[in-house]
Amino acid sequence: MIPFLRKRVLSSAVPLVCVVLGVFFLARMTGNPVDLYLPLSATPEQRAEFSAAQGFDLSIPTQLWNYLVDAAHFDFGTSLRTGQPAGSMVLDAFPVTLQLAGVTMLLALTGAVLVGSLAAYRPNSLIDRIASLLSMTAASIPDFWFAIMGVLVFGVSLGLLPTSGTLGGPEIWVLPIATLLIRPFGVLVQVVRGSMVTALSAPYVKIARGKGATPRRVVFGHALRNAVTPVLTVAGDLAVGLVNGAVVVETIFGWPGIGKLMIDSILQRDFAVLQAAVLMTAVTIFALNILVDVCHALTDPRVRQAVPA
Amino acid sequence: MLLAGVVLLSSGCAVAGSAGGDTGRADGRTLRVVLTQEPPTLEPCEASLTGTGVVVRSNITEPLVERDPTSGELNPLLATGWKQTAPRTWTFDIRSGVTFQNGAPFTAEDAAFSIDRAVNSDLACNVEGYVFGDDDLEVDAVNDSRLTVTTEQPDPILPLRLSFVEVVPRTTDPKAKVRVPVGTGPYAVTSWKPGAAISLNRNDRYWGEAPAFARARYVWRSDASVRAAMIDKDEAEIAVALDPMEAEKDTTAAYPNNETTALRLDGREAPLDDIRVRRAIDLAVDREGIVDALLGGLAEPAGQLVPPGVVGHNDAIEPTRQNVTEARALVREAAADGVPTGRRITLVARNGMFSGVSETAEALQYQMQQIGLNVKVRMADTATHLQYQLRPLPEDVGPVALLIMHGNQAGDAGFTTSQYLLADGPQSTFGTEALDERVADAGALSGGARQKAFADLLAEQNESVVQYAHLAHMSGLLGLSRSIRYRPDSATGDELRLADVHPAEGAKH
Repeated sequence: MIPFLRKRVLSSAVPLVCVVLGVFFLARMTGNPVDLYLPLSATPEQRAEFSAAQGFDLSIPTQLWNYLVDAAHFDFGTSLRTGQPAGSMVLDAFPVTLQLAGVTMLLALTGAVLVGSLAAYRPNSLIDRIASLLSMTAASIPDFWFAIMGVLVFGVSLGLLPTSGTLGGPEIWVLPIATLLIRPFGVLVQVVRGSMVTALSAPYVKIARGKGATPRRVVFGHALRNAVTPVLTVAGDLAVGLVNGAVVVETIFGWPGIGKLMIDSILQRDFAVLQAAVLMTAVTIFALNILVDVCHALTDPRVRQAVPA
Repeated sequence: MLLAGVVLLSSGCAVAGSAGGDTGRADGRTLRVVLTQEPPTLEPCEASLTGTGVVVRSNITEPLVERDPTSGELNPLLATGWKQTAPRTWTFDIRSGVTFQNGAPFTAEDAAFSIDRAVNSDLACNVEGYVFGDDDLEVDAVNDSRLTVTTEQPDPILPLRLSFVEVVPRTTDPKAKVRVPVGTGPYAVTSWKPGAAISLNRNDRYWGEAPAFARARYVWRSDASVRAAMIDKDEAEIAVALDPMEAEKDTTAAYPNNETTALRLDGREAPLDDIRVRRAIDLAVDREGIVDALLGGLAEPAGQLVPPGVVGHNDAIEPTRQNVTEARALVREAAADGVPTGRRITLVARNGMFSGVSETAEALQYQMQQIGLNVKVRMADTATHLQYQLRPLPEDVGPVALLIMHGNQAGDAGFTTSQYLLADGPQSTFGTEALDERVADAGALSGGARQKAFADLLAEQNESVVQYAHLAHMSGLLGLSRSIRYRPDSATGDELRLADVHPAEGAKH
């Protein structure tokens, strides 16, 4: 397991470093933020002072070196927009996104296993057809449209839910999570169904059935264990997408999460916050990938055996 | 089942920053306002930024004088009177009995400090650039109730300029911008939860009439349909910047917002360096069609950069009527003289500049192509658009037609012309020496002579320079709950005075 982990960490670290460096360079290619932060009449001296204060007057390699050295000391710089430490802004925003993504993934997995298994147990039945149609529809609906429709139908027309916001009871979670949930749920139902159909036709399942195991025991006790590997792989990718893709939900519903912070930082050329947000997101995705690989290896010994020591 | 699961699973969770967030319930004492985005700062010297000014100006801080957005007259506020006491000097009488929200009394020394801090310091405040240019002011607190301000050159509109300087106590940091300000206004900041909400409480020390609402809370939602839904759902009393599709509702109020849209044509590059091509573009634009089809009929076709009500607006200028035949002939004539009319022109527009901006850019592209020009649209974010908008302008990017939206909240064309018409103006690509002289001459005038001089030079721009193909004088749309009374005016977009909002008679909460 250790060699497997070592190899996975090394291979996953490469894209992490690429993303962090890529964002650093790409951000600087968009130009000096001085125009956004200084008035029209700012003198050349004021512009030079601003650039020097932010370190923008240094060469790009020097800026990168300073950034890496400071980041190693957990100093991510100061937000140009708010004057607050970039690290603390990111730390404030990140739990919001993680909560959204975590609850969404848990619900998507639970719901998909139940619905997908039910559909797979009787292939081509009415339940299977309905589940397939709904899951494909769910996987195809644009989240932006779904969010706005949710606001208009459940918020304004029916008056059941708040339109947006983060203050209140459990009801405030419903529309944001439903919006985030719909696509991974749709995709996972299809993956679970496909895996379960294969697993349920395996000889050991037939033997279990022949021995008189109950349908629940057959599905969850025997078939699911063997069907779970591809589901976990896809769920891992979807979880990564959720952390990245909470932008729409956070923007529409006014949730102060990392997605919205990242978009605002890009638009405002707030390099320090952008870099800190990307770094934290990349590290989280890196950890998620490792976690998925470990789960994969635990559920399928062939995976870890495939990695030479 | 899933929704129930969400509720159950999430009931134990708490969202960071939620403690003071969001609008809360309607209680009749709290005015809930939903903005498009979180203000980047509440620093008073940045109040000329729309996002900051809409919260700060005349709510938290106040200036010495204020401009009536309807009549254009200057009214007393923290100064009770003012007069020009020497060619370069104005004297202001300071109101007595005013205290800051921190309990300190307001005197002329605070006013002098505020002007020094905003205009003469190294803080690089936005108010300095737009309103005062490069010139410093000589400020002297003669005594507690008298202030003199001396300019480098005679300035007939100095009191108007000073209406943009928000007064802060002399204890405010003179070397760094503050995040949360103290002022003399009717409301004071009680909390700012980053990402969630800004809360204000009524200032019990306020020198003027107490506002009707004891509290105010600002939240922000970037999607216009959500802002509109918050009014429908009684989650907010005021929602700014709604889409034209909401215009028919009885909870929506339209108001002229002093913004004017136009295409700025880059006179440095062929084929736009040829006046026939620029004039052809002006003739190609179907203003009525764009206003009706894309702007919800809420704007007025424009023929100049300032709308009615602004000093210098020329009533005699008619918006150019579309004439495709004449425009094509001009382009052909230029081509025959060797002007490379087939060279690709980049039409740059900014995302979110106004509702329907991308469709407007595409319509302009079609109309320009219709007369034989080669046009490509580029939608840009604010930072990229600024690179095209301000000097130093980008080099080697070919001919650019920039879709601009200019807001003249100061109410005087002098602020427009110094930026957009001078040959080397910060937001101008070219001009003429003659027009520059007329801008300088007009700026030294006052009263009727000033009005006429600016009106004449705006007409002259359309004749001799044609740097702009004007599009429309725009309107803003405000969502207003039935539970309140508020009449928006042309300043509302930049200065939403909470004290002007009152509970509607018979409103229930």
